Amino acid sequence: MKVDLIVDARYKSCPGPLLALGEAIMKAQPGQVIMLLATDPAAPSDVKEWASNVGHKVIKVEKVDDTYQIYVEVSI
Amino acid sequence: MSYGDNMPKISIIVASDKIDKIFPAVTLATTASVMGWEAELFFTFWGLLVLKKNYEVKEVSLDYKNFEEKLKESIDSGVIPSWKEILEQGKKTGRLKIYACSTTMSLLGIKKEDLIEDVDEIVGAATFLSKAKDSNINFFIS
Repeated sequence: MKVDLIVDARYKSCPGPLLALGEAIMKAQPGQVIMLLATDPAAPSDVKEWASNVGHKVIKVEKVDDTYQIYVEVSI
Repeated sequence: MSYGDNMPKISIIVASDKIDKIFPAVTLATTASVMGWEAELFFTFWGLLVLKKNYEVKEVSLDYKNFEEKLKESIDSGVIPSWKEILEQGKKTGRLKIYACSTTMSLLGIKKEDLIEDVDEIVGAATFLSKAKDSNINFFIS
């Protein structure tokens, strides 16, 4: 999968990962894929809720060691 | 990037200047605004103090004093952003409004020029109520 941007929010607690993603997405273009790295256990569900509210798409969530890799497709 | 109209709205009254009250308030409001929602924070009584320029939010509520050092450590180490950084990010969305209570300002002798520039408006109870009445979620944090 092509990743256009990696946002590293590891070791940040809520709302850190979501705010980092929100900041990055303001500069992103529709169709781009952002990979968010997070260790906060709330991040996968928070990002999914956020995405369904604002109209972006979570295309994959993987866990590698203690890090979630959350792939978000910028849709608007 | 713009979000549709008719997004939900959250209104929070903040009546304390303690770390454990300010963080949940700004976290919820900013997260809401990042989710495309409208968010309003109405600062009254001791909550209004945090809107003063250079005011340091440094204490926790009295009952939880024993957590104060641990909390400060976590904030200083960057595990969570400072409350001000959280608020600034909400302001950047253009969907988070900050209101200062006019009565508290006169009670405490605080003037408009004493407040940070992020304050959108100085309002009274009726104005806040009329803004908050169509909110989906209302909180009072004190």
